[in-house]
Amino acid sequence: MALKQSLRTGLAGLVMMGAALQATQAQVPGVTADTIKIGSFAALTGPGYLYGKLPMNGIEVVFDQVNAAGGINGRKLELVREDDRCDPAAAIGAVKKLIYEDKVFAIIGGGCSNATFAAREALDEAKIPMIVMASVHDGITMPISPTIFSVATTSTIESQAQLDFAIAQGAKRIAVISMRDAWGRARYNPLIEAFQKKGIKPVLDEEMAPDANDATAQVLRLKAANADAVLIVLYPKPAAIFMRDAQKLGFKPLAVGQTGIADPAAFEDQVGSPGATATFRTISMVRYTPEDPAVDKWRKAIEAKFPGDRLSVFNLFGIGAAQVMVEGLKRAGPDLTREKLVAALNGLKDFQTDVYPGGITCSETDHRCNKNPAWIAKEPGKPVRVLSVTKPE
Amino acid sequence: MILLTYLLLSGLTTGSLYALIALGIVVVNKATGVINFAHGELFMFSGFVAWMLHVQMGVPYLPSLLVAVAFGFALGVMTNLIAFRPLKNANIISLVLATIGIAFMLRGTARVIWGGKGDYLPFPPITSPEPVMIGDIMVIPQQLAVLAGALVIMAAFAAFFRLTRAGKMMQATADNAKAATLVGIRIDRIYMLSFGTGAAIAAAAAVLMAPLTLLYPDMGFSFFIKGFAAAVLGGLTSLPGAVLGGISIGIIEALAGGYIHSSFIEVSAFIVIMFVLVVRPTGLLGSSGLRRV
Repeated sequence: MALKQSLRTGLAGLVMMGAALQATQAQVPGVTADTIKIGSFAALTGPGYLYGKLPMNGIEVVFDQVNAAGGINGRKLELVREDDRCDPAAAIGAVKKLIYEDKVFAIIGGGCSNATFAAREALDEAKIPMIVMASVHDGITMPISPTIFSVATTSTIESQAQLDFAIAQGAKRIAVISMRDAWGRARYNPLIEAFQKKGIKPVLDEEMAPDANDATAQVLRLKAANADAVLIVLYPKPAAIFMRDAQKLGFKPLAVGQTGIADPAAFEDQVGSPGATATFRTISMVRYTPEDPAVDKWRKAIEAKFPGDRLSVFNLFGIGAAQVMVEGLKRAGPDLTREKLVAALNGLKDFQTDVYPGGITCSETDHRCNKNPAWIAKEPGKPVRVLSVTKPE
Repeated sequence: MILLTYLLLSGLTTGSLYALIALGIVVVNKATGVINFAHGELFMFSGFVAWMLHVQMGVPYLPSLLVAVAFGFALGVMTNLIAFRPLKNANIISLVLATIGIAFMLRGTARVIWGGKGDYLPFPPITSPEPVMIGDIMVIPQQLAVLAGALVIMAAFAAFFRLTRAGKMMQATADNAKAATLVGIRIDRIYMLSFGTGAAIAAAAAVLMAPLTLLYPDMGFSFFIKGFAAAVLGGLTSLPGAVLGGISIGIIEALAGGYIHSSFIEVSAFIVIMFVLVVRPTGLLGSSGLRRV
């Protein structure tokens, strides 16, 4: 009788403990006993899909592998995607939907800088942990947001790296051609500051509109100024027009791009003029090209999961960001809360992923966690290759 | 002198494209009195149709151009049926909103169909991509092809309006719709023909321009703005004015960029337009009669 009583009491205790645990988990949005819901927002349609849909595909293959291995502390990862169309208003809507309707635990996202920057307030308000996968705007991480971490190289880091690279290549007469919209300004202003810090001035400072169809005037002016390097702060479209017209007018400086033009093979097709991209170098956030045997594992995973797709550098952005999130979730432990995830991410020191050029290091005072841009180039008729990795001063 | 020649040539090429877009806007406005705000998207959509045929399906350039023009015509007719015919007696704001609605629908559809194929899609040039020397001037053959194509299209449409029955009926309707009705012209058909013809011109411009500009679903609006500016400068009801306006804007932009600074390229044409309109509100060659826009 006493034994029966003890068993009943014990069973009741267990049920109560279970209920209490369930109640605790229920208080953490997006976390159940066996799942963790992670949201993602960026462009799924339109030209910006390269920085949205493709990284998200990368995130998904990482999650699949984690789930196949049993998940994180027994919980499987679920990805919820939202399309921001690269539109600031749509990004705010997408973030609010993920947080308040889908009730995700954390976010890996941010493709287009302007859209992600616009969504920062909503993210800060909700205090939701987020890892930025592709947006580079400084304003997303500076001044520091307690819960937003970036594994994308930021615009200041890239602008400084552009100048350092040109100087390291021996350029003496360095010019700038830039767009002056919000995206361009976010890169142009730190670039000019980098010039000032080094005590030099651009030999010429030219502008191009995002929808420009001709760059004859700019090329003629740069040629007349005898620029031996041009730092390009343009989207791929105006940059392609610029490179085409430079080729037409026999102007062949060292052309230094940034992650807005992250795929030199696609860029060569866009320029469409044989040999015009021979002197073009650009920044990659990742250290491998899609053809590199080092990323075979991920190539197979992408091609198996998304038939018809080929591994691209944009998939790698998502793969790296997802690996950082997975590491953070592991370190946060089984009793998962957003505060623990943030603390775990703040503690990352030189964390190695399969894709980034250097280790990922975050701290409570600096959430720009990837500071090692890689330089890539594609000579005509040859595959894309990695030239070097820069660590800006 | 070489600098000036380069700038004039580039201004002429870009300007002839603006002129083609302006022509389409003017054709519709002249007949119906309405600005078709979906014109840029009709241009974009037809360009993508040509890309699909030529790049994805391997159809030769000329048949792709012709199919895209036919498709553009059909899209224009559809715009008339959805956005103009049911609202032709409504106030002008409703008509404008209807064409803007069509623009958003086309852009959204293009984003879904072609938005995941690449950020900016290249269209192979119809000529050799290698620059060639003409005297002391280096030219991309595609630029010459665009210039020649634009001139042919302008000449063809000038002949259409002067020499064909349909063209003359469109002119008559544009001049006086009530009188045209009285002499037996079915003006609903003329409106339909105008929307179709305007969109067909846009389609031809898109296919000519695609190798020089790349294709993307959001490209329509910026081209529309330039074409609209050209149409306003030339006079919203004048076909030669559209051509003059387009070429003027192209050349002004090139000269401002070359001789002042590249930051003046985007604003220079609009500054000139503002001054022209202050002096001559109907544009360079526009008629002085009041029309609803």
